[in-house]
Amino acid sequence: MLSDLWIRLRSLFRHKAVEAELDDELRFHLDRQIEKYVRSGMALEAARRRARIELGGLEQTKEECRDARGVRLLETLWQDIRYGARMLRKSPGFTLVAILVLALGIGANTAIFSVVNSALLNPLPYPRSGRLFLVFASNPHARIAETTLTWPDFVELRGHNRVFSAIAGFASHDLTLSGHGEPSIVSTVVVTPQYFSVLGVTPLLGRAFLSADGRRGAPPVAILSENLWRTRYGSDPKILGSSIVLDHRPFTVVGVMPAGFRAPFFPAADQVWIPLFQDTLFRSFTKIPGRHMLATLARLGAGVTRAQAQARMQALAARLAHKFPAQNAGWTAGIRSLQKEVVGPHVRTALLVLLGAVGLLLLIACANIASLLLARATARTREMAVRLALGASRGRLIRQLLAESALLGLLGGLAGVALAFACVQGMQPLLPSALPHLRPIRVSGEVLFFALALSLAASLLFGLAPAFSAANASLHAGLKEAAGRATEARSRRRARNVLAATEIAVAMVLLVGAGLLIRSFAALTSVSPGFNTHHVWQAEISLPRFEYKTPEQWVAFSNQFLSRLEAEPGMKDAAFAVPPPFFVQGDLVLGFRIAGSPPRYGGINPTAHFASVSPDYFRVMGIPLVRGRFFREADSFTGPRVAIVSRAFVRRYFPHEDPIGKRLLCGFPPDTQIPRRIVGIVGDVRDVSLGQAPAPMIYVPFAQMPFWGGPLVVKTRLRASSVYAAIRQATASIDPDLPVTNFQSLQAAIQSSVAQPRFRTLLLSLFGALALALAAVGIFGVLSYSLSQRTGEIGIRLSLGASPGSIRKMALLEGAKLAAVGLGAGALAAFGLARLLRSELYAVTAHDLYTFVAAAVLLAAVALAACYVPARRAMRVDPVTALRHE
Amino acid sequence: MNEPGIDLPQGTLDLLVLRILALGPEHGWGISERIQQISKDVLRIQQGSLYPALHRLERRGWIKARWATTENNRRAKYYELTRSGRKQLETEESGWKKLAAAVAQVLEAT
Repeated sequence: MLSDLWIRLRSLFRHKAVEAELDDELRFHLDRQIEKYVRSGMALEAARRRARIELGGLEQTKEECRDARGVRLLETLWQDIRYGARMLRKSPGFTLVAILVLALGIGANTAIFSVVNSALLNPLPYPRSGRLFLVFASNPHARIAETTLTWPDFVELRGHNRVFSAIAGFASHDLTLSGHGEPSIVSTVVVTPQYFSVLGVTPLLGRAFLSADGRRGAPPVAILSENLWRTRYGSDPKILGSSIVLDHRPFTVVGVMPAGFRAPFFPAADQVWIPLFQDTLFRSFTKIPGRHMLATLARLGAGVTRAQAQARMQALAARLAHKFPAQNAGWTAGIRSLQKEVVGPHVRTALLVLLGAVGLLLLIACANIASLLLARATARTREMAVRLALGASRGRLIRQLLAESALLGLLGGLAGVALAFACVQGMQPLLPSALPHLRPIRVSGEVLFFALALSLAASLLFGLAPAFSAANASLHAGLKEAAGRATEARSRRRARNVLAATEIAVAMVLLVGAGLLIRSFAALTSVSPGFNTHHVWQAEISLPRFEYKTPEQWVAFSNQFLSRLEAEPGMKDAAFAVPPPFFVQGDLVLGFRIAGSPPRYGGINPTAHFASVSPDYFRVMGIPLVRGRFFREADSFTGPRVAIVSRAFVRRYFPHEDPIGKRLLCGFPPDTQIPRRIVGIVGDVRDVSLGQAPAPMIYVPFAQMPFWGGPLVVKTRLRASSVYAAIRQATASIDPDLPVTNFQSLQAAIQSSVAQPRFRTLLLSLFGALALALAAVGIFGVLSYSLSQRTGEIGIRLSLGASPGSIRKMALLEGAKLAAVGLGAGALAAFGLARLLRSELYAVTAHDLYTFVAAAVLLAAVALAACYVPARRAMRVDPVTALRHE
Repeated sequence: MNEPGIDLPQGTLDLLVLRILALGPEHGWGISERIQQISKDVLRIQQGSLYPALHRLERRGWIKARWATTENNRRAKYYELTRSGRKQLETEESGWKKLAAAVAQVLEAT
């Protein structure tokens, strides 16, 4: 109600005017009443008295009127806040420390929460993205988990699913965009027509695909990303209906997608979308029986549950297995939330661990402030007693003290939000690296709300106990003590001890967590990848496929290029490798069969990592030969087909026989059945990530499995700029239009593969260090305060002959007891909580004894050091002063 | 003058104040006088509870206050009914009438 608010606010802010009006109003009433009685013959004095009695006492009536106006609550709240602010101003040291400690706690929480908010709670910028699912096929017998669908699977699913409102297949295939400027490679997403409607996005210009566009033999159409349209086509308003050339084929542009839209898994800014049947590669895949080729995205229909959809997928898989027994026997189907797939389990666990860690940090901060407030409560015993004696209710006192801590909490929160703003950009490495652009991290409205709620919750957390403790001060004792000095109530001292021990315990948990991650990271980065990482560089040269059409051309280019490059000074060790280690995200696998051995797992071929490499590759990378030979120039396109396998491959597939001379049937279509003779065995490499054990690996000569250019590795002692210039030089001498991309050192590639664990380790270590510092401050504060309270007692002890050393021992013992209790509780809690880190650890168990002991020793040392200063001070107490003080 | 009148039943003061103000703007003293006059001195209102009631009604938005001069040239705070106050009066009046009729019926029947 508006009048209500207006009157309350007016009473609050125009306090004097309102009071004067009330005065005038009642005075007018009294005057009239007195006049009336005087007119009826009463004496003036009697009339006055009577009128006053009738009104029931001027002050009391006024008070009731104020209550009726509803000003009390707001007015006292305002009073409390002003009073609180005054108290905080009066002790600037305490206020500053408390605000700083809180700002650290709330800032860290807000920053981490902003990442959680972007990455976990709301990661996808599509409408109702929680209803989006990926459909996948898996074959438990062949140990194939969650792969793409075959074309017949997809058609069946699209026609008969009954649980999805829309469903679309998609895949990625880079094509060469030519005409209208330099030819360039564009990230192309090959889709079925409903792709955009599944995601719930509409084009900026033109239209999305129609089902007619998706038919075999339909006229070729394409949709561009806004970025591509603006940069390459200069925002041409006549782009719709015009023609672009992809891999030498014309496509009519029918739409432009807005820049804010990024495709899941393929978030390139420059992007083209084309219908599946317009891509020659994927069109050919639709005709290969049993070819798993299409990732599938579906939007759950209204009112359908996830469990229903899951059940329906299994039923459809059974039906498919019946319909196509040769391809589909043993296969099943399932769904996964797109959100979870995009974020990935590792990022999720890591973020939740960090969120937990900052939560604990805030807990320590709160315990610290609560402890400070309890000390203040003792100092204010007299003030509280006087207030109680003057008639303040305990509730009113508690409310006032809580207003004070809320003020403190909000100030701390404000500083914390500023801190979060400052460091939120630095949090970018926490996001899944595959999808950095789906949703930027920022301090959004939700994050600010979180910070506000957190500040208030923290105020309650650290303010409640001290407020109750202070307001419960015994009136009698409080006033009596006021004469001399207030000594600390026993309950309050116990509360402070509990707080200090809690801080130590929580710090222990954080230190153990940080220690485990540090140990794991050290193990991860010291693992040998199986190849030489020093002085090796990578670069990529990609040949436009409309110019370099045949494998023979690719081989000719690579031979020519390598001979030119090796002619450059200092560049004699160079090789092509598709792919070199740490070049692609995730595993790149090739299916194979061993000639003469029966097909395994009911028709499903085993797979191995593979690389197609030119002869010098092993020498450049320093991968050792175990037996047999490396590739030679003679292993050419026309020569007999050969392969080299890794030790892990031999262990898995030839455990009891000599693989040399055996034949592998493997290759990309149409070469899948070509036999390749194994001529050598080489050492294992970690090619995907340092944390992943070396997989079985097949190498084939680049000349026998050529690609249209590809990644290049060079070993040289030259500097980066010279290396790049030499590669550029060699490329340009063959074809000046060829771009050199992805140039970096192999070490940089490996470093970036561990960037996420490094950053997480760094953050958790930082939180651990902060926790350590806060806990040290906490125990220091508790001990110095309790000793300062006991100055008199120490004085008596000293004057009765206690040695200063024994006083110091007593003080240290008191601190050590607190630390020991905290360490014990902390070790137990850490033992329980460390399990949550298990999936984050490499080569360290969650209950690593070394880490636990190291954390405990560090914490104990810091706690004792923190106790030492107050203990020394206690030892130096001058008995005479101390006793006079009493 | 001294004979005791009937104390007002709980909650009826608001109704009476609204009813008086329906006749036109009036100040606090005036309201208490009017109630006494109209009820022929039967109803006496506790003056101590009149002013809190007026402030409460004002906060609820049923009446509004403004300062004006009286016939003998003194400043007084006049209250008048607002539109929502008029509505409130109607509901309270009909409620009261129903209650009174029901009570009367019960009393007559026994």
